[in-house]
Parts: sequence; structure tokens; C-alpha cells
Amino acid sequence: MILINCPYCGERDQSEFSNGGEAHVARPENSDSLNDKDWGQYVFYRDNPKGIFYERWVHSHGCRKWFNAVRNTATDEILKIYKVDEKTPKIDSFTNTLKTPSGEPKVGSGNFTVKK
Amino acid sequence: MSALDNKKSSYIKKNKKVSFTFDGKKYYGYKGDTIASALLRNNVRLIARSFKYHRPRGIYTCGIEEPNAIVQILNEHNEPNARATVKQIYEGMKVDSQNRWPSLNLDIGSINNLLSPMFSAGFYYKTFMGPKGFWKKIYEPIIRRTAGLGKPPKEFRSKSIHQNHNVDIVIVGAGLSGLIAARKLIDTEYDVLLLEQDSFLGGVLKNSNKVEQINNQEVNKWIKETERLIKISTNIKILKNSLVTSYNFTNHLIALEDKFAGKAIDTSKSELTLHKIRTTHTILANGHIERFISFRNNDLPGVMLASSFEKYIHRYGVIPETNPVIFTNNSTTVTLLKSLVDLGHKPVAYVDARDKNKIGKKLLTYLKKNNIPFYFNAEIEGCDGNKKVETISIRKNKNKIIKVKSSMLCVSGGINPDIHLFTQSKGLVKWDDKLITFKPDVPFQNTITIGSVSGNYNYEKTHDEINNKLSFLKPKNIEMKIKINDTNNFNIKELWETRHEKKSNWSKSFIDLHNDVTTKDLKQAVVEGFDRIEHLKRFTTNSMGTDQGKISSINSLGIVSKILKKEISEVGTTTYRPPYAPLSFSAIAGRNTYEFYDPQRKTPIHNWHINNKAIFEDVGQWKRPWYFKEHDSETMHQAVQRESKQTRQTAGILDGSTLGKIEIKGKDALEFMNLMYTNPFTKMKPMTSRYALMLGEDGMIKDDGIVCKFNDKHFIATTTSGGAPKVLADMEEYLQTEWPHLQVYVNSITEQFTTFNISGPKSRDIMSKVFTEVDFSNENFPFMTFKVFNYKGTEARIMRASFTGELGYEIYITPNHGLELWKRIFHHGNVFDLVPYGTETMHLLRAEKGYVVIGQETDGTVTPIDLNFNWMIGKKKKDFIGKRSLTRSDTAREDRKQLVGIVPLDKSEFIEEGQHVVERERLPNPIKTPVEYLGHVSSSYHSPNLNHCIAMAMIKGGNKLMGKKLFISSSYGTKNIAVEVVSPVFIDPENKRLTS
Amino acid sequence: MTKLLSSRDIDISQRNFQQIIIRGDGKDRFNQIINKEISIIPPSKNLEVTKDDRFMFAKNSFDQWSLIYLVERDYKEILKFISNINSNDEILASDYSYGQVYFEISGKNRNEFLNKLTHFDLRLKKFPVFSMAQTLIAKIDCSIYHLKDRYIVTCNRSFEDYFKERLKDTANI
Repeated sequence: MILINCPYCGERDQSEFSNGGEAHVARPENSDSLNDKDWGQYVFYRDNPKGIFYERWVHSHGCRKWFNAVRNTATDEILKIYKVDEKTPKIDSFTNTLKTPSGEPKVGSGNFTVKK
Repeated sequence: MSALDNKKSSYIKKNKKVSFTFDGKKYYGYKGDTIASALLRNNVRLIARSFKYHRPRGIYTCGIEEPNAIVQILNEHNEPNARATVKQIYEGMKVDSQNRWPSLNLDIGSINNLLSPMFSAGFYYKTFMGPKGFWKKIYEPIIRRTAGLGKPPKEFRSKSIHQNHNVDIVIVGAGLSGLIAARKLIDTEYDVLLLEQDSFLGGVLKNSNKVEQINNQEVNKWIKETERLIKISTNIKILKNSLVTSYNFTNHLIALEDKFAGKAIDTSKSELTLHKIRTTHTILANGHIERFISFRNNDLPGVMLASSFEKYIHRYGVIPETNPVIFTNNSTTVTLLKSLVDLGHKPVAYVDARDKNKIGKKLLTYLKKNNIPFYFNAEIEGCDGNKKVETISIRKNKNKIIKVKSSMLCVSGGINPDIHLFTQSKGLVKWDDKLITFKPDVPFQNTITIGSVSGNYNYEKTHDEINNKLSFLKPKNIEMKIKINDTNNFNIKELWETRHEKKSNWSKSFIDLHNDVTTKDLKQAVVEGFDRIEHLKRFTTNSMGTDQGKISSINSLGIVSKILKKEISEVGTTTYRPPYAPLSFSAIAGRNTYEFYDPQRKTPIHNWHINNKAIFEDVGQWKRPWYFKEHDSETMHQAVQRESKQTRQTAGILDGSTLGKIEIKGKDALEFMNLMYTNPFTKMKPMTSRYALMLGEDGMIKDDGIVCKFNDKHFIATTTSGGAPKVLADMEEYLQTEWPHLQVYVNSITEQFTTFNISGPKSRDIMSKVFTEVDFSNENFPFMTFKVFNYKGTEARIMRASFTGELGYEIYITPNHGLELWKRIFHHGNVFDLVPYGTETMHLLRAEKGYVVIGQETDGTVTPIDLNFNWMIGKKKKDFIGKRSLTRSDTAREDRKQLVGIVPLDKSEFIEEGQHVVERERLPNPIKTPVEYLGHVSSSYHSPNLNHCIAMAMIKGGNKLMGKKLFISSSYGTKNIAVEVVSPVFIDPENKRLTS
Repeated sequence: MTKLLSSRDIDISQRNFQQIIIRGDGKDRFNQIINKEISIIPPSKNLEVTKDDRFMFAKNSFDQWSLIYLVERDYKEILKFISNINSNDEILASDYSYGQVYFEISGKNRNEFLNKLTHFDLRLKKFPVFSMAQTLIAKIDCSIYHLKDRYIVTCNRSFEDYFKERLKDTANI
């Protein structure tokens, strides 16, 4: 279980949280004027990258507050946590970004054990 | 030669004799003995039959890496696959060998050996294919009976607990390195947990005499002193008999503690503790494991790892054989040699694969001085014997082979740092050409490795290494003068397999003893195209046994790299997966079993239900009365029919406390409610109630409930019992992440009120008698309104609404008054034959009125329009969750499944929930093309009020099918049930009873 | 107060308290309104517990407080307080007086005992005195309050029987 640093309660075990999927997907205000395809994009589609991902978490079994996180989905490292109303950190501020040609992170994805 | 006793042993209590049985025969050992050490003490060599070939096997090691001596403990749990080399004996213990029939000595399974060409690598992918029918009738039953290792327990009765820890530093392993690290951290600011898998501290210090003295003291004295200091420290805790099996992210470790090591299980206590440890730093001091060498018949009982033989001497005081042959390719076996000589014995031969220069003058002199026959640049060609080692063939030089006689052969192929935990933590390892093994290299987490696990085999340098690696913790300075008995210069010659002469079908050179994988299998697999190590592992099952190939997996990489002509670092390793050693399900479950499996929720009047013969059903975590038995022999069907009939005749009452209740308040509460639900709330009058729907953004119904409006800034909404937590969570999600500009707060008040639902023609009379100060007349208390009033100093609420279609009320009262009020209602209701009813009757009654149940008529794919709920949608509302999705091309289709009622044409027939609606009376036989599926039956009951079956169904284009005759596919036979499509409202379609 | 169990340096009793959950923004006006009614200022630091003879007042999160009455009051008084502060649009007070159960856990081994039921870090340096936390204990959502040498653990009343059985089982096994 990973350790998640809730901005309100401090470091807690992952079992207290629920993952809220991709962050910064705003609900369209003018949905009437959107066609089915664009509306469907909001309802049904979310990114699922291997590597740096901006996502939401909620402290379901704690303070029940939502916050955002930047996580490397290949290594499960949480690189930054920020509140809903705080500024979104820029992706190039993280050193552990995608470097290999296929986009896979180099270290510790669990698929190889020997240092190359 | 039989096993002798070594007078000095550190693990055994010589004055405590223990008796146990093995395969029915009684033996004696001492307290502290493992099954293996005790059997060796009694000269028992044959312990098991191997997995595939049923070859005779003996004790190969002295620890958790054991691949052969796997036994069954016969007790309450019938523990299978226990390692005889780890499991301690206790008085009366019953042990059985595994995988043999009828006996260990005479095992019919050994016929597999003759058929072995058939059982080469990957044979199960190539055999048992035909003829047709043979798999189910012949192959599968036979394989099931013969496959597997050990017998499972008949009943699950084991008790285990979980213990959580939060510390700053974990030290894995209390050997020399671990103890030094611990001692340096005594009384520092860190909370430290020291974990040791054994019953004793000391590790390698107890396994041999490699370390002669510490600080001019005897080693045991130093260990004892260290343990004493740690015990009186304020910040360090020791856990013995605790094996770390998983190292997860983020610095979370799982350790398994055996609370009954060396004792018979007391079933009233927990026998295993699963320690779940969160730490900031992990110090891995978990040592190394010796590896073997492959040669012809390297699996015969009598072949044992050299350092394990040494462990038996020093730990348990058993010399399994006074004159063994020692075969090595490295410098670690010197101390084994010396231990034997010091005890007055000598090996029959010392066979070293290295050349003279590597062996060194000191050892050569020692061998000559003690008259020990030795051979360098030599190797073992193979060994022979009947179910045990008798003759050992030594290849002196290129082609000269000499034979010697001995009952034991000690083998050392080198040592590997135990990198399992390090790689589990996602650390990367690196191949070391000098040590010829993998070493930890780049850690992924706060992991430090010290001692032999980090590749440091020189005990004299251990203290410096630890000082270096732990300096950032600012630990204490301690005196550590280590005097070793060993060479401090480790050297090794690469040797994975020796050259052997093919003798017979029976001659095999093994690379994995547990799963019976031979080196020939590896070669064959590569030939067949499996040249990637992950594929190779699975195709051959190499290292996939319960020992995970601890003494052999690196060897297999060595062999494969030679075949592929690649560097070992290129070949790589397979991923080491937790657990490190077999972990019982009992430990994983802890106390979360049986009645504790999931928290149970009960309403405030739960005991009344029990006393009145309620049968319960689970609704989420809640226990709800399903139906009430009037007398012990009443069936469920009878009870439900009775409850339903009585409720419509006079009155019935249901405990509705489980339904969710949410309080919503704030300046923008009205706007919020309009956004969350489909209904328009703007023109809704204060103190009235409305049945409301909540959709997902995809337009599908998620939950329903009743909304009570106090005023535009204050609402209370109810939800379904199961949906309450999700509705509250969704509300908070939207308020926090989507509409933070709305000033609204929501609080759950589900537990703060007990709720009773009373309905029936006489319910008004009963209520008037109970709440004398409230005017229940139709004019003053119309349908879908609510009142708040004082009840015994508390604030109570009554809403006029019902889910049954009868005149009815919902009462909300604080839980401390729940039981008293419920009883009072019955006191006044008895004269009207008021009947308590459960969830089944509730479902039946609402079905008679065509009311839907979320999760029954809906399944996440149903829109409000599908249910003819257009009237609940606020058309003038600019926006609400799901609004846009109601006009998607998919949700606007005319042929969507729509809610209708169905009744059988033959009133004596009964329709089952879940059955399909079709157009055909009979299904063709055989069915060549799919039968068109028109819909399904979502609810079905026998109505006591109408005396026939009524059902609700979701049928494609159902709205246009009123009056049509269709069929319901039947479970039995092929004739379908003829039905007619009708309105789903079966009783009182004008709602006269409801609004009377 | 009813004694539930006492074994191996753990003492657990069941207690009864009245309680109110208050939602608000924690700013000056909010503090004034509360203070005016019950003469106590809501704590401003997250997870902080303010205690006097009458109340335990804790800040659960940036917009939620729990007010626990240590001494029983006439329920009418509590209802009046709720009604008064609810007259302000920007406050929601919900009565929690009869829907929760409370357990007082004390004794030298209380941390090790509770850590058989929860992963929560109870060490003093992580969970100081006069602070509170919302977490999972025995798989149930609980609030835990750290008073000088004891914890008050509270959860929904519907879990009462299960929770008590888990506590007894943990003490006995």
C-alpha cells in the first residue's frame, strides 16, 4: 500500500483513499451546444498514460476531501500533491519523466530487475 | 557412517527430549530441533518423493531454501508443504512425508521415472490432447488425484491476527550485520524494529565458527549482551520467529510471525501474526544463500549443501556423516573442513574445482597436514546408490574418474546475496564478475543493504561498511573488533554443471529440485525457441516451486547464458515476487473471517426483530428483516403473502432506518438540488416532499429518493440503503471539485434518525392514536407533505408518503426513542391487526403498484425515459447532471428497453425474475440461429391481492406493445410461458388509496 | 460509562456523549456566532482539539467541526443551539447526539492493541495529545480523539455490536 500525504490530515495509508481518475477535466458548461461526439468525450473518455499522470484522490475514510496528485503510473511514485484550488504544477518540473523511445520510464517499472 | 552428536550446540536444549512420529514411526529429538535435524540425528535419510518423477529425496539444506524435505504436519490444520528444515518439533508432533503412495520407500509414482522422456519440459502443452472425451473422463480425474503436493486441511479453523507497526527504521535480519546496526541505534531518536526469522539471534554467527571472537569475547557472549542491551533500550523492539515475506512500496513490509514455533498449537490463541510494517528506512541485513552445482544424480538423498552441513553441526549438534565428500568451487568451505577436523573426523575427499593458485597455500598445507585426500581442478561426475548416496565419482582430470564411497556429499557452488526483498522493493541488481553473482545496486526506495546481502563477504570489513552506510542516521559509536576464522579473501571459479557420463534413463542432472527440472530440459526449451528468461521459466517451471529456486535459479541463468552465448547480465533475472516463502491464507485473512468478514450494521430496533422471529437479509452491510415468521413452521412464501395481504387490508409497518438521509443547507442549496437531481425544485412549496431521481453524467439512473424541502436554503434528501454513501460522496465531489462557488454544506444524518414506514387503510387511525397532537386529516396533512413537531423533547418528523401505494406515513425519530415508539405503535395498532413486514413484502407491494427499485429495474443502463419518468424531469431547467446525455443518439432511440408490466395468460403459471422475453412459443430443436432477445423480467411476485403472478419487465420498444402477446423463456423444458404486456400498475391505477 | 473489558494493560469503557457536527468556513463571523452561543472559540488548526470541562471541540477538516458535550445537557438546550446557529445561511449544524457510540481506551498497551485493528500511526510524534483523526478502525469509519492518556473512539451507532465484538476478540486472542 502506498503512503499518500493528504493535504489536510497528513500521511495516511492508501486504504483510506479512493482514486478519482484523471484531474482537470472540467464539466462543460454549454453542453447544449456540444454534439454527441464532443459530449461523449467528456462523459466516457479519460487518459490512461504510462508515466506522469495528473489525477484526483479523495480521502474517503478520513476527512472526505478531494485533492490532486501527480503520479508516475509505472512506478506508483506520487511526485506532487496539491489542493483543488492550488496551481497545477508543470510537467517539466519533474525529473523522472519519460525518457525512453517507447515512452517507458527507465527505472523500476517492475518489468526488469537488472540494471542495464 | 551414522550421525554423531556434537557436544556443543547453540539451539538445542539437551535436557529436554521430545518425541515425534514420521510416517507413523516414533523418533526422539531435543527441544530446539527441527524435523530435519531430528531425523538426521536418527539417521533417517529418505524424506520425500520428488514432484514429477517421484525420485527418492533427502534433506538438502538447513533453512527456508529447502527444495526437497517438504512434509505434512498432521494436526488440526493438516499443514501441507512445511519445510522440515525450518519447522521445529514439539512433543507428540505427527509428521508425514508427501507425494508418495503407498509408502515413501515403495512409491508407485516412481514409475514416472521410466516414462521420463514423456515428461520433458513443457509436456503438458503437448500431451493429453485426445482422443475426444478422454480429458474429462480419464486424464483430468487421474491428474487431479496424483498432482499437487500435500493434502489440504478439511476445515478452516486456524486463527491469525494482523499487527500494524509504524516505525522509523526496520532492520531485516539479526545476524552479525543486523545486530551491529541495531546496537548502534540503541537510544537514538529512531523507533526501530528488528526482525529475525529464527528463534535465536545471531544468524551466521551461530551457523559456523567463521567468526571466532568479537571484542575478545566468545561470540555467543557478544550476542547475549547485545540482546540484553536492545531489550532494555527505549526505542528498539525485536520480533523473533518473524520472516519478512514482502517488501512493498512505499517502504511497507509484511512479516509472518509463527507464535507456536516449537510448540503444539493452542486453538484458543492466534497461531500466526501477520505484521504490517510502515517504515521510513529499511536496512536489509538478510544475508546470503548458498547455491548448488548440477551433476549426474545431484538429487540423491545424501547430497547436501556444504554450509547447511556446517549449520547442522554448529546449531543442532548433529554431524550427519563423519566422513563425507566435500565438493566446492569457492573458498567458503574451508570452515566446514576445519569444523570436521576439529571434531576428530575427516572427509573421504575434498574436491575443489579451482586450480592450485586460487586454493592457496594455507589450505593446501592444512589438507596435507591432516592427511585428507584432495583433488584440485576436479569435479564430481556424479553419484550412485539405491535411494541414497553410496558411490561418488570424482573426475580427477580430463577423463580420469575415480570412485569413492561415502553416504554424504557436501556441495558448494558459491553463495548468492539474498536479493529477493531488494528486488521486490523495485531495486535494481547488477552482476558482479568477481563474486559471480548478482548484487544489489540501485535502490528504488529508502533501502540500505549491509553485510553479505550487499556482496560484502568479509566479516572484518562489516563494521566499516555499516558505519559508512548508516552515517546519515548519526548512530552511536561502538567497539567492534572482529576476529575471523576464515579467509577474508573470497574467491570462486565459475561452475554451473559438471560433465557427466550418460548412464541410464534414471541418470539426471537437476537444475530445479523442487519441480524436477533437469539441465537437459533447459537446453531443450532453448532449442524449442524459448530464449527469453521469463518464457523459459514458465515453459520449464524452473524456479516456480514453493522454494522459488532459491538454491538454483542463478545457476539456471548461468547455464542459459552459456547456451545463448550471452552475458548473464544480458540474460537478466525473472521478477522476484512476494511472498518470499509460502504464506498461509489464515495469516492473510487475519480476523476478517466468518462473522467478522465485513462490518455488520444493525438498526436501533434490531433486537425487537430477533425476538419477533424475523429472518434477515443482507442489504450492503445492513441486516434487514426479510420477512417475519408468525410461527416456526411458516414458510417464506406464506409469510410474505400474509404480510402483503394484511398491509392492504388494514396496516403494516416496516423498519426503514437503513435508508440514507442527507441534510443539505446553504445560500445556494436550491441551485445545488436542481443540478444534482432531475426534478425541478424551484416552485416546490416548503414543507412538501417529492420523489426525486439522480442520474449519472451518462444519463443513466444512479439513485432515487424523496426530497423534503424546508425552504429554498434547507433540504433533506433520502437515498436507497445501499446507495447512501455513494450519493453523499458524489455530492461532496461536485461541491468540492466542480462547483466550489456554491455555498452549500451537506451532512449525512442516516444514523441520527430511526425511520418507520407505516402503510395501509388503517394507518391514519393508528397514527392519530399514537401522535394525538397531530391532525392527520387529508385536508391538513395532504399526500407528499411533512410536519416537524416535538416528541418527548426531541424533534420528530412525519412525512406522508408510501412505497406501497397505500395510505402511509414515514416517521423520523431519534434512535434513543426508537424502540419505545415502535412498541407504542403496536400497542395502538394491535386492535387493527397491524403486522410487521420485511423487505420481501416491501418489494412485492411496490411491484403491485409498478414502482421501480434501483438495482432491480435499473442496472446502470436505464434512463428515466425508459421508465416513463418524463414527468420527473424539469424541462425548463438549464442544466442538471445527466441532462445532455438524455438526448444522445443512443438514449433517444425508440427501440430502447422500456418498463412494462406482464401477466401470464394462464393465471396459474409463475414467471421467474431474470428470464428472457421472446416472440416464439417454442424454441427450435436444434437451435441453429440465435433466438431474438426482446427483453428481460426485472421483478416478479405472486400477488396475494390479485391472486396471480405479476411481473415487471424491460422490453425493447415496450411502450408500443401494450396488449401484445409475448412469451417468457422457461427454465424447464422448451415450452415458453405465454404472457400479455400490460401497464406495470396492477393495483389502484388512479391512486385513490394513496391520496385518500 | 460502562466497563467493556480490562485485560493485559488495556481498559475499554463505553460512554455516551451528545454531539453536533458543524459545517462552516471557520472565519471571524463563524467563530463569533459559535462563541456567542456557547462561549468557546472553535479551534482553527486542522485536527486540533480544544477541551474544557464542558466540551471537546475539534476541527475535522477545513470546513467541519465536531462538538462533543462532555457533560450531559438538557436536549432542548442543544436543539436550541442548533436552531440558533442554523438561522445563519452559511452554517449547517446537524445533531449527532443519539446516532454515535463512544469508546474510551486507556492503558499502557493501548497503542499496540489498537494497531491490531488499524494501520493508523498512533505514535506521540505523529498523533499528539489534543489532536484528532478520522480513519479506519476494524474496517469502520471512526473518529479518534487523543486526550492525555486515553483515546475516545467514536463511530456510527449501527456498527456498535460488531465493533464491540472486534474489541473483545482482539483483547482475548
